Amino acid sequence: MIIQQAKEVLKIEAQSILDLTERIGPEFKKAVDIILHAKGRVILTGMGKSGLVARKISATLNSTGTSSLFLHPAEAIHGDLGMVTPNDVILAISNSGHTAEINRILPIVKDMEAKIILFTGGLDSPMARESDVVIDVGVEREACPLGLAPTASTTAALAMGDALAVVLLNQRRFNRDDFRRFHPGGSLGERLSFRVKEIMLTDAHIPMVSPGTTIAEAIREINAKGIGATLVCGEEQRLEGIISDGDLRRALIARKEIHSLKVEEIMSSCPKTISENETSIEALGLMEAHGITHLVVVDDHARVKGIVHLHDLLGREGFRINGGIGTPARAHH
Amino acid sequence: MEVLAPPRGLIIELVTPFKRKGEIDEKGLRRLLARVSPSAHGVFLASPRAGEGATLSPALRSDLLRQTMLWMGEKNSLPIFIWVTQGTEEETRKTMLALAEAARETPYRPGIFHVDTPLFYHSNRGLPDLYREICTTAGAPLILHNDPDLIKGLARPFKRHNIRTAILKELCGFPGIAGLIFSGSLDRAHHYQRACRRRPDFRIYDGDEARFLDHPSRSGVVSGGANLAPAAWARIVASSLQPSTDGADYPDRLQQIWDTGSMLHHMRDLYADAPASIIKAVLAGMGVTQPPGQPPENIASVQIVLRQLVSQIK
Repeated sequence: MIIQQAKEVLKIEAQSILDLTERIGPEFKKAVDIILHAKGRVILTGMGKSGLVARKISATLNSTGTSSLFLHPAEAIHGDLGMVTPNDVILAISNSGHTAEINRILPIVKDMEAKIILFTGGLDSPMARESDVVIDVGVEREACPLGLAPTASTTAALAMGDALAVVLLNQRRFNRDDFRRFHPGGSLGERLSFRVKEIMLTDAHIPMVSPGTTIAEAIREINAKGIGATLVCGEEQRLEGIISDGDLRRALIARKEIHSLKVEEIMSSCPKTISENETSIEALGLMEAHGITHLVVVDDHARVKGIVHLHDLLGREGFRINGGIGTPARAHH
Repeated sequence: MEVLAPPRGLIIELVTPFKRKGEIDEKGLRRLLARVSPSAHGVFLASPRAGEGATLSPALRSDLLRQTMLWMGEKNSLPIFIWVTQGTEEETRKTMLALAEAARETPYRPGIFHVDTPLFYHSNRGLPDLYREICTTAGAPLILHNDPDLIKGLARPFKRHNIRTAILKELCGFPGIAGLIFSGSLDRAHHYQRACRRRPDFRIYDGDEARFLDHPSRSGVVSGGANLAPAAWARIVASSLQPSTDGADYPDRLQQIWDTGSMLHHMRDLYADAPASIIKAVLAGMGVTQPPGQPPENIASVQIVLRQLVSQIK
């Protein structure tokens, strides 16, 4: 009996989500467009359990690149409404569409010309009439007896919120850098908290040639080490320059024959460097600022200690899918 | 045909009060309507279970409809559902026309819905063709009725006891069909729900009170028990249809809702086997209708229900 009852509840809740798949239509797309084109934030609001769902959706939006916050409807009418600007989008959640506290704030928000999106089962409710976009999250059946608590309806609203967040994420072409910004506690974030010395390539893994080496030999070194560049180092591994794939391309465009040239003739003589004690985030920031993919790790006397590539910062596993690089993610010390 | 929007909420499946000679007990009917209508969103006349519709001739159904409409007049805006099904397709059609004619004779206008249990007289095969024709001649919007236990109890039931989901999907596309009263398994309820998705205004009422009490549908419930405890049912329906915004927020609200729901559940178990006779006997005990010609077999249930209702009043 207990298991049967639990199964019935799960079936009802699952059904409530499945039903949404056939009801999603132009209104959903309109909601996505409004949020994508909004200059402000997405402000979630809802009372009771809908309020809890709103809080979770707000958190999901924040984690996936859409700036969002939660506004308690009761606090809103006591001053918090001041946080809303005309550039914001209000996303209200109310199963019935009759929630008194939200009904009181929607006309004010509308006067401010902020857009209103509503998740509701009450498509002909007063709140629906005040809203720019109404997304149907109504359910045919609640799982909880006697209406003691909303169940399937809150599940449906929560799932629709996830759908919205993921679609927005994809529409914004959310990339790994964004992910790192919002997930410092995740595996990628954890990787970016490493010191440079923990992830740099060292010793025999450093692509390196001496001054006077021909470009042909430098290309062989670049190929052998597989990170798209080689350092040019003098005595005691003092850094003198770097030759990257980009340098080679530019040289080829400028001159037909480059194989017999010396590395000094085409190398960049002031490569960007970093200390081995800096964090990976610092390294990533430098790469972003200068539009480069390599940083040379040097000590206080400009001696080369290692080299770090963008892939080492973000984890090579993710790049194998696209780039086919097969070297280990972590350095060998 | 312009189709009325069917109501959402508590549809009370009215028992049919009779005099000793078998005519409609007009005074009893009025007292009953006065008792239940403040709590109802609609009344269902001559239903096959509590309303004993299967024993009512077309003339008696017309009389019942006429009396109800006269009592309601123009003041009361409750929609009326009435069971039109007879033993054959032809008789059902005649009953629909007779009821439509009776409806035209009174000033009552809020809306009449013909409730039809198609598998009572017709198999699934060819149902869409049948309804395509009925919808043009019925004179009132239709509510389908699916009740597998009722069909199983027939002398010669059809092979299938439920309207097939694919058939319902097709019927749902007819604007003249406004909803469905559903009894059956939860899985079938989900299938039906999916089949009718494209009609957001299509109502699927719970025909099984116990199902509604456990997992309420958003269209509402058809309840025979509401003859006995209309206010309690109205309260539970209101709570179930709007879980988070049910009126006053007093401290023991949840406890009271739970207690009321449990009482209705228990009461339903007492009359479920013979709803018409037990409910009528209780109503007679309360002085609402005339005592039945023969007392119900399960007189103990009647006494328990009566005691429960009295304790509620106290």
